[in-house]
Amino acid sequence: MNKIFSFSKRIFLEIIRDPLSYIFCLGFPLIMLVVMTLVNDAVPEEAEMTLFEINNLSGGIAVFGMAFLMMFTCLYAAKDRAGAFLTRLYATPMKSGDFIAGYIFPTFVLAVLQSVITFAASFMISLVTDVKINVLGMFTAVLVLFPSMIMFISLGLLLGTLFSEKAAPGLCSIIISLGSFLGGIWFDVKGAGGVLEKICNVLPFYHSVSAARMAINLNSDFIVHLLITVGYAAAITAVSVIVFKNKMRADLS
Amino acid sequence: MNAIETRQLTKKYKNKTAVDSLSLTVNEGELFALLGVNGEGKTTTVRMLTGLSAPTSGECKVCGNDCVSERGEIKKIVGISPQDTAVAENLTVFENLRLICGIYGHSKEETDRKIFEMIRLFRMDEVKNFRAKTLSGGWKRKLSIAMALISEPKVLFLDEPTLGLDVLARRELWIVLEQLKGRITIILTTHYMEEAERLADKIAIMLSGRIAASGTLSELEMLSGKTGLEETFVEIAERFGKENVR
Repeated sequence: MNKIFSFSKRIFLEIIRDPLSYIFCLGFPLIMLVVMTLVNDAVPEEAEMTLFEINNLSGGIAVFGMAFLMMFTCLYAAKDRAGAFLTRLYATPMKSGDFIAGYIFPTFVLAVLQSVITFAASFMISLVTDVKINVLGMFTAVLVLFPSMIMFISLGLLLGTLFSEKAAPGLCSIIISLGSFLGGIWFDVKGAGGVLEKICNVLPFYHSVSAARMAINLNSDFIVHLLITVGYAAAITAVSVIVFKNKMRADLS
Repeated sequence: MNAIETRQLTKKYKNKTAVDSLSLTVNEGELFALLGVNGEGKTTTVRMLTGLSAPTSGECKVCGNDCVSERGEIKKIVGISPQDTAVAENLTVFENLRLICGIYGHSKEETDRKIFEMIRLFRMDEVKNFRAKTLSGGWKRKLSIAMALISEPKVLFLDEPTLGLDVLARRELWIVLEQLKGRITIILTTHYMEEAERLADKIAIMLSGRIAASGTLSELEMLSGKTGLEETFVEIAERFGKENVR
């Protein structure tokens, strides 16, 4: 446990001391929250578009921010592999499980903090815009987002294990763009319908966003989306654990 | 007990033999230098001895522990400072040292004592609260070695510890290594002749993955009929080249 705690603390400190992590993981999502609220304000009431109302927007933005934590997990895993730091740690009594837990725990804590800040900002926006947002719903949403956090972090670890320090962040950017688009953060998936809706339903991002949105509005249908996200999180975590262990075994052969 | 013993140790990568039938013995407390130009198999040897790479064939033991079957035990008793500086860049000197103590499961009191000792030994007091990324190459290398030493290993592996350092930083590091001599077994890989000459109790000259000659400096000089390590090295390398066409 000491090994995991020490390694986790190192990852935690490295991320919070990186100014880019604040820009990407907090600044950018909060800016999008404000910008999309302004867009919503500009939309005429007759359009009956509620997608960017704060009680719908905040869940999507929380997932959007999480995707950037995926990028940082990926970046640190790839960086460690590229340099000699992991070589040093491979020569210590640390085992593969210690490394995996050491990457996942601190980023999970950061993901929870990030979600709390996003919802706190959303609450403040709701006061300004006079749109009601349920506080209990936001607490529920933070809990409902736990599997999504694990899913994104594991995906980051997987990409950081498989790809180089140069390639991995680029791939993460593609996933962030696709994930936020196909997650239905910026458009109404049901309204779009057709093939696009089918693609969104097959991938996990839409379910992450929907689970959070429904939880905020205390709509019990979030359970279905939550279960799908749990399934994806479990599968991606299992794959990333297997890949990391195999890669470590190959590095030591 | 011998600190290190290898017998016919070999490592092959596809068609390339990086280490070829290496047999050597290192006594406890010795500073043993593996001397050779780049790409002669020094780092691969260190990787096998520290459990970072499995041998293709042959045997190696560190303090009586087999490098393959007792890899876990070896990890508890060795420390390594890799060729590239291996430190956590956004952590301070103090935090980097504490990280290693945490990984080895030391108590808070032990950790504080060990960190204090390392900071004193490497004279890092003025930089202890600096983040690693802000340190000069010399300080980083000192930190890297301190991180390898803080777990109090029985065998310390230093892979090209002064590579890329300026002459002053190199001399400073030599002073620290001289202080460690006799206290623990040190395996030093280097291609700097003066470094091996000044620090090593015994020297093994590695060429094309094999030990071309080994012994104390005077033994090597006697063998080659030359004086000084550089002349000795050149003579042995030339003889080895004529005898072994790979």
